[in-house]
Amino acid sequence: MAFVNRISTELFTPDKKETPGEVLFFRVFEAFIIAYVIKLSWQWGTYMVRNSEVVLPLGVANYIDISFMFSHSLSLINAGIITGIILLSFFRWGSKWQYFITVLLFHLQFVARFSQGEIPHSANLIGMSLLCISLGFILFDSTVKRRRFILGSIIFFIGLGYIMAACTKLIGTGINWSDGHHLWLWIAEKKTDILSRSGTYNYNWLQQWALYSWSAATALLTLGWLTELSGFLFWWRRLRPYIATGLIIMHVGITLSMNIRFDAFIFELILLGYPWATLIDNYISYIPTGNVFQPTNSSTP
Amino acid sequence: MNKFARKSFKILMAIFLVYGVLVATHKGEFWPFSIYPMFSQAGNSWTRALVRDVSSTPDDLIWKTVDLKTLAGSPVQLANTGVSQIDFSNYISKTERWNANRKQGLIKMFNPANIGQSCWIIYKISGRLSHQDSVIIKAVPFLLISTDTVQTNPNLPETDYSI
Repeated sequence: MAFVNRISTELFTPDKKETPGEVLFFRVFEAFIIAYVIKLSWQWGTYMVRNSEVVLPLGVANYIDISFMFSHSLSLINAGIITGIILLSFFRWGSKWQYFITVLLFHLQFVARFSQGEIPHSANLIGMSLLCISLGFILFDSTVKRRRFILGSIIFFIGLGYIMAACTKLIGTGINWSDGHHLWLWIAEKKTDILSRSGTYNYNWLQQWALYSWSAATALLTLGWLTELSGFLFWWRRLRPYIATGLIIMHVGITLSMNIRFDAFIFELILLGYPWATLIDNYISYIPTGNVFQPTNSSTP
Repeated sequence: MNKFARKSFKILMAIFLVYGVLVATHKGEFWPFSIYPMFSQAGNSWTRALVRDVSSTPDDLIWKTVDLKTLAGSPVQLANTGVSQIDFSNYISKTERWNANRKQGLIKMFNPANIGQSCWIIYKISGRLSHQDSVIIKAVPFLLISTDTVQTNPNLPETDYSI
């Protein structure tokens, strides 16, 4: 029980008064998520017109024939509806259920776009964040509690995601997962992908180093796995900046070694991993006219 | 525990429960819920796909199994066609039955205007670790496409296409 108390305090910070910096930071974070949802909705919607066949049904597409989304510009209409509803929600026009409706429509957009066999994870964190925002709006009337719940739950699922990724490697392969030969095989796979995309391919310095030395390749995989395993430490406020830095370095390493980009993950780690709200508060305290941004409900939750 | 923190934790556990049930019943993926299984099965062989323009390549060279250095024809850059190479690879490797719809779907994916008067060969590229711990890559010509036809490799058994 003490552990649960501790984790809850670390995630939801009920022990602290809300500051103007937190209020402003939350709006910036919310705007970031909304901008990404709109970007992805249109990106997926415009690509989908090429699809005609469902290769691998995902999510709700296991129960309905998602190919209806490929015709009559439905994917573009869905992107338009998502954009409209989410902007209304951001400006607080309408119902508290609007964000949840966008979660459902965004899920539909994802499963239709990726019914071609790929299961990318680069947008998962954006999807989880939108879900947590929607539940915060439905379940909490107090703006302070709503903000605290949303950010705390997203931080929880970030930590959970990384530790699950580390565990699936142990379950899927075992203790020899970090054998450098495995990295050689993945580099060859990604080389083929890039060759297919752009017609040519050159190894970068990190890939050359990993391919030259089995020990280096093994060390890279081991470091990556240990960083993922430490992901649950993101739940602790004091450790968060250090863990975020480690995870960002790991993602940059994955991009360099395997050409897989996790931009949305990196941006969210930058936003949630560092004490931006405190920095904003410190800045505001230097403004001679006093606090500009007043929290709407300045109290401890 | 603070009342707000208790309520928040209970909601978190409820989401976690739904998360667990959905991923457990959907092979680890029910977006945005996931067990993040990428790269979990290390050392397994892989299959990707790649396109080459063989409009001016002699017929006897088109259907030869080769490696990445001796591919027939000239490269077709998927980036120029707007097709995601991951989608394309999955379409080729995960399609079990190459019926008329799947073949037409492939032409639609590329957009016939991009193919034009050309003939494109689609290679299935597979990679695996050898017993000597090196990576072996093999490129098998799988389909020959033009704007209106999709031809299968005559040297491969029909079972490879489940026709």
